[in-house]
Amino acid sequence: MQWLVRGLGLLGIALLIWRVATVGLAENYPLSFWMSQAINGLVLGGVYALVALGYTLVYGILLMINFAHGEVMMIGAFTGVFALQFFTALGWMSGPTTMVILALLLIAAAGMLGSIVTGVTLERVAYRPLRGAPRLVPLISAIGASLFLQYSVLLVFGVSPRTYTKPPLLEGGFRLGDVFVPYTGVIIFGASLLLMLALYLIVQRTKLGKAMRAVAEDKGTAALMGIDVDRVIVFTFILSAALAGAAGVMLGFHNTVVKFNSGFIPGIKAFTAAVLGGIGNIPGAMVGALLLGLIEAIGPSALGIPTEYKDIIAFSVLVIVLIFRPSGLLGEVVSEKKA
Amino acid sequence: MRLRSLQRGSRIGAIAFAILTYLILIGLPTRLGAPAMSVLALLAALIFWLALRGGKSKQAFANRAPAPLFLTGTTAGFVAGLLTALLTAGFAQLLMSGVNVQPYLDKIVPMNMAALYGVMPGALVAGEAPAWGWLWQMAFVTLAGVGGALLVLIERALRQRTWSVGGATRWLAILLPFILLGFVIWLGNPAVTLGGNAKGTLRLLMAMAAIGSGLFALRAARPGREQRVLALLLFVGLACLPFTLDQFQNSVMGIVFIFVMMGLGLNIVVGFAGLLDLGYVAFFAIGAYVYAFLSAPFASPAFSSLLTSLGIPAAAPLTSFWLAIPITMVAAGVGGVLLGIPVLRLRGDYLAIVTLGFGEIIRLFMLNLSDLTNGPRGMLNIAPPYLFGYSFGNPRDIFILALLGAGVIAFTAHRLDGSRLGRAWIAMREDEDVAQATGVNLVRTKLLAFAIGALFAGLAGQLYAARQMNIFPDNFTLFVSVDTLSLVIVGGMGSIPGVVLGALALKGLPEVLRGVDEYRIVAFAALLVIMMIVRPEGILPSTRRRRELHSGNEPGAEVAPEPIRIGALTQEGGKA
Repeated sequence: MQWLVRGLGLLGIALLIWRVATVGLAENYPLSFWMSQAINGLVLGGVYALVALGYTLVYGILLMINFAHGEVMMIGAFTGVFALQFFTALGWMSGPTTMVILALLLIAAAGMLGSIVTGVTLERVAYRPLRGAPRLVPLISAIGASLFLQYSVLLVFGVSPRTYTKPPLLEGGFRLGDVFVPYTGVIIFGASLLLMLALYLIVQRTKLGKAMRAVAEDKGTAALMGIDVDRVIVFTFILSAALAGAAGVMLGFHNTVVKFNSGFIPGIKAFTAAVLGGIGNIPGAMVGALLLGLIEAIGPSALGIPTEYKDIIAFSVLVIVLIFRPSGLLGEVVSEKKA
Repeated sequence: MRLRSLQRGSRIGAIAFAILTYLILIGLPTRLGAPAMSVLALLAALIFWLALRGGKSKQAFANRAPAPLFLTGTTAGFVAGLLTALLTAGFAQLLMSGVNVQPYLDKIVPMNMAALYGVMPGALVAGEAPAWGWLWQMAFVTLAGVGGALLVLIERALRQRTWSVGGATRWLAILLPFILLGFVIWLGNPAVTLGGNAKGTLRLLMAMAAIGSGLFALRAARPGREQRVLALLLFVGLACLPFTLDQFQNSVMGIVFIFVMMGLGLNIVVGFAGLLDLGYVAFFAIGAYVYAFLSAPFASPAFSSLLTSLGIPAAAPLTSFWLAIPITMVAAGVGGVLLGIPVLRLRGDYLAIVTLGFGEIIRLFMLNLSDLTNGPRGMLNIAPPYLFGYSFGNPRDIFILALLGAGVIAFTAHRLDGSRLGRAWIAMREDEDVAQATGVNLVRTKLLAFAIGALFAGLAGQLYAARQMNIFPDNFTLFVSVDTLSLVIVGGMGSIPGVVLGALALKGLPEVLRGVDEYRIVAFAALLVIMMIVRPEGILPSTRRRRELHSGNEPGAEVAPEPIRIGALTQEGGKA
């Protein structure tokens, strides 16, 4: 049976390559077109990476899919939009450059705070009582929480989308050869790289990060070593929610609107990215997300099919990768049994 | 001791305040009108009761002394009341001073606040709010805290008395479905004017309660002849239902039983075989679309031109509903195998995301392959089932067909559960490696689980298409999968009666509660979370699963008598 599955996978890859060679390259797009697509992909991939890291962090420690993570991000985006309105009303957004930068940082902080409050509450209410239950139980609880957050936001804030108005400073971009690079793209990509670096330092260099890794390895033993497991889990949720909040604000600026259900699709995408890279694996989430962003941006034109199919391409790549590496690109095979 | 009560009380109060604030923010007071404050206080009392009783262990519950209990309750009520009153007073002040909060918080309208104060909205905006209104609110919620404590004491007193029930409740449980059924039929009499406008709703509710209580009655009955006779009688009762309900009620029951069919199929995949499938809607969609192609080929541009080029007239259905059944089922089954092959090696959450992706891929294809599926405009004019020239298109007949389909699937699933394959599924669910070591062919077992689950979903999809007559890609979103999975889990994973009950609770009740449409999904979502915390094994769990989930915390008492019953049941199954 194994050979059949792998054979199908190889067939799929061969088909993809054939299609790219015959259609995508035959179209003769200029290089600058591909470059700008790739830049779009990297920007989107950077945002996905922040959300995917949240999935992976929580999964690494609790072995559960935080299905409501997309909603945590959406609430961050909502908090961000209110903060933006507040600062716009204060006149900071049209003020001098330092003022605008300060305001943007504060907006991001507000978004992160909103997400953190949501994430921690979620953990306390919907996940902590279920620790140790069979795996489907927290998943269903997470699905319930996801629906609850979505529709609560709908009931409280209404159906109409909220708009992120870009400050004049962020409008436009610069030219790099033939390629137009928008400022927001640079900022988003740079900020996500910075946040990922910060996360890496926290996890690898701090005492709490060490505790996190220990809990991920083995909860029981970690507790015996004097680690407060509950505290570490809460801290993990804080970290993952903070990243999601930042991602929410950035995605808000990128998409310009935020709605009650605008966390859902990015959430699923980011989850796909986390699985693609190997869920539970921090570098895996980053790689998977950037790859997914690139595939989504380049894929449709490379395969010569309409952009509506970009989700299909993303999921097909996921399936093909999982056929050859059932635990994702960077996932370890050992972790299977832990589940 | 006193300090601890105060601390605990303030904490409970803060939580209650958060819940009350949420209810105010989603606009519940407007919905309730004048008695808003008293209803909210009543809700608060329930919250306080649940928080105060603690309920972690029976011992701790029995030991609650009245004095600290009342202290805690009163503190909790006071804190919650004070905070709520401050909040509403603040909002009211904002509204009165002309600030429009509504663009930010959708439901904070003068009506909402006015309902809390029990005055006309105009009075509030004009600044004529009762000066001491907030004090009243505080008093109400504080009283609710005291009420909560009182409820705990009452519950404890009730629990301490030993009730000698035994036989009577068992008979009551067995007779209840028939009483309810009788009530439904009696309500159907046009001369009866009970409940006024709510009569239809009441009837629907009663009908669903009758089916649900029937399932409990089957549990309560002694295995053997008693159970079989009861099952027969219930079946007769159920067969009467479609003929006594009206159109709307039948159509609601129809959709409920279509979801029962789906749930039974998913129950095989998730409940028996333990494969978490989040893209189950794909097979439902395949079934629906294949039937649509067979029944309304003219709706699909590419397919109809292909047919005409082959010399087959595309203006009429290609096959009847009945001939289409094997075709749709095979198509869905093939879909199941196709999904199954690439995911053979995947476990747990990897499986979940790939299946989810599969479901989305199918939907996206339906949305974007507009030549074949007519895209978002959907497949229109699908034929209802016909038999000897008689159309089965009306809701009543669809309900009957759904009942029949669900019955056949339930029987098949029940037989599968006890079969060699069923045991292989359970072995695989518990531990794949061990199952393989004991000689279970994993590939075959997994693919069969996917395929059989898909077959049932395909059948459900076909019936759904015949019921709707027009289908659109939007009918097959991820939410259908999520709904189905939730109903399986809420009903009790791996349990066939549980699926029926889950479908009644999750698909039926929301239809009944159309009036409070906005709050439907929120209530449903909250219910899912609460259910997972309070009763993760579902309403009507299979015996095995109940014991799995309660192995640690309730030794002895509940578990001990069970094995005898299982033995009797399996013996019964073996003989029949």
